[in-house]
Amino acid sequence: MWDSHAKKKGATRLYRTYVCFIHYPVLELIGVMSMGTLEKLAVLADGAKYDVSCASSGVNKHNRDGIGNSKSFGICHTWSADGRCVSLLKILLTNYCIYNCNYCVNRNQNDIPRASFTPREVADLTIQFYRRNYIEGLFLSSGIERSPNHTMERIYQVLDILRHEYHFYGYIHVKVIPGADPALVNKTGLLADRMSINIEQPTEQSLKLLAPQKTLPVLFAPMNQIHHQMTQNASERKIFRHVQKFVPAGQSTQMIVGASKDSDLSIIKATETLYNRFQLKRVYYSAYVPVNEGPNLPALSTSPPLLREHRLYQADWLLRFYSFKADEIVNEQSPFLDTDFDPKISWALRNMQLFPLEINQASYEELLRIPGVGVTSAQRIIRQRRLGNISYNHLKKMGVVLKRAKYFITCQGCYYGGIPAESALVRQALTPVAKPVQLCLF
Amino acid sequence: MKMDYLYDGSFDGLLTSIYYSYYEQRAQGIYPEVSYQFNMFTPSTVIQSDPVLAARVYDAIDRKISVYSLMQIYYVYLSNNSAKENLILKYLQLGFQLGPKIDSIHSHPEVLPIRQTAKKVSFEAERFLGLLRFTDTRNYLYAVLEPDHNILILLADHFADRLAGERFIIHDKKRSLAIICNKKDWYLSDFSKEAAIPDSETEQFYQELWAKYFTGISIENRKNKKLQSHFVPQRYRHNLVEFRKSELL
Repeated sequence: MWDSHAKKKGATRLYRTYVCFIHYPVLELIGVMSMGTLEKLAVLADGAKYDVSCASSGVNKHNRDGIGNSKSFGICHTWSADGRCVSLLKILLTNYCIYNCNYCVNRNQNDIPRASFTPREVADLTIQFYRRNYIEGLFLSSGIERSPNHTMERIYQVLDILRHEYHFYGYIHVKVIPGADPALVNKTGLLADRMSINIEQPTEQSLKLLAPQKTLPVLFAPMNQIHHQMTQNASERKIFRHVQKFVPAGQSTQMIVGASKDSDLSIIKATETLYNRFQLKRVYYSAYVPVNEGPNLPALSTSPPLLREHRLYQADWLLRFYSFKADEIVNEQSPFLDTDFDPKISWALRNMQLFPLEINQASYEELLRIPGVGVTSAQRIIRQRRLGNISYNHLKKMGVVLKRAKYFITCQGCYYGGIPAESALVRQALTPVAKPVQLCLF
Repeated sequence: MKMDYLYDGSFDGLLTSIYYSYYEQRAQGIYPEVSYQFNMFTPSTVIQSDPVLAARVYDAIDRKISVYSLMQIYYVYLSNNSAKENLILKYLQLGFQLGPKIDSIHSHPEVLPIRQTAKKVSFEAERFLGLLRFTDTRNYLYAVLEPDHNILILLADHFADRLAGERFIIHDKKRSLAIICNKKDWYLSDFSKEAAIPDSETEQFYQELWAKYFTGISIENRKNKKLQSHFVPQRYRHNLVEFRKSELL
């Protein structure tokens, strides 16, 4: 009897070492992985870097006997030489692609080095980077290798290994492959935190010109599906607490700026529609970096329109946090955003009849409309003025940018602008002065 | 007669001094015992930190002011501000007069420095949730940092939850402190590391992969070094794998 017991014990121990071996296959894998992993990562990260989205925000998760957690405020892990944050390991599963979108670096006709990761390689790389705290999670995109379904299935496999084998509770953002089966999108969405479909162009015409194989309805279909399932999931979770969450951090999208002739008006209108129709968390703008030559594309020497991209983001913030409408930001008469002023100042200068506003009386919504007052300072003003009047000297300490705000406010009845609050004069006062440049003798 | 209180540098000690300032003699100022400059005009006493008295002050702040204020003064206590004890003293004196209203005041001269300092500390702690790099040393993960403020304790829960299956050490080189965590349970301890710890076999490989990835991910046409150093100041860089390695590439 003792003998058989001892045998049993031995057997358990053997089994245990076996399990450990499965959970930490690093040492064994290194032989397989080091063969070209460095080169593959270089190729596949290069293909993914033009995707701007890198947020790891929107979901709070605790670790339940696995590895990883998520914070809803999002965590940036480093910043690359272009000043953009690196939060997620942003890679393509493959850069082979059957499509030939004009603006894309991975398009079919381009003669570039091609590579593919296996789902297990991506999962292992993610875990190894994650436990060293290099990254907050995975951003997985892909070229379309054989068919949308084939690629989507492989993306699902990566998530399956990460979530079910490694019990990974970190952040995962996946790209939905347009045209993939809704059932596949559904089962991937149950494992991902955020999903996105890039619409790339705000209008049907420019999409036809630049990505002839794609149409807006094909791109909108999965967006619509995700939106519907998220709403359904939310109502189900009100009744059954343990229903698995579907895309808990919501969906986002991206538009390329400057590859086509589209105006800011059509971009901002499209953005507003997307927020209203699909309740997107974010719309990203990507200043077009010329990577290809083509008859419908800007020349290779064009520099990316960074200032325009910046102004679009400012407009996007006005839509999301300052309850602005697209019509208020740009209109048919001036379809492009002013480059000298941010969109809020431009709006204020067009609507000088509403100003100056009294800081001690204006409502929260009105405070948010004042250039130089943001969400934080508006909230501080609301809270502090319940206890007493706010004087002009307090405003700077509360985070108000007086340089801009002083032309649009009164404080305890006094106006501190120094010049009459008229559109033309204020515009002149606010126009940025060119910085003096040190001349060089040589 | 007002008095300078000297405390041992612990949070309990600071709260005990505040207790004495109310129930014994009023405090002129509170200073850490080690760095106090004696002078002829103000008498001073050394305070023995007393957990019971400290707990009474702690509860009083929670009850009579707010949890938010309690958090704020704790953050300020962790900061490297040389006058932090007196900032906290003045803030609490105002706080016990006003009650929770003090949370709504931002621009008051006793409140603003507390808000600003606390923000610096919480900002740096949040920054280091991302800017910390572990190396795998076979038996445990090891990370080193040199933050401006004493933020170590603010990082512990986050990483203990995140890396629940691992053993790790987060080492504050500047203050010779470390968080030592053995699968979920952690404690803060004095720590110094003399000998270099050998890396695991795969460590160099993953460091190289990461450095390569890091240099590759930036877009040449958008290069903006100034923006980058705004987010990753030079003083943090020598502890970051990707910056150390990419200089060599």
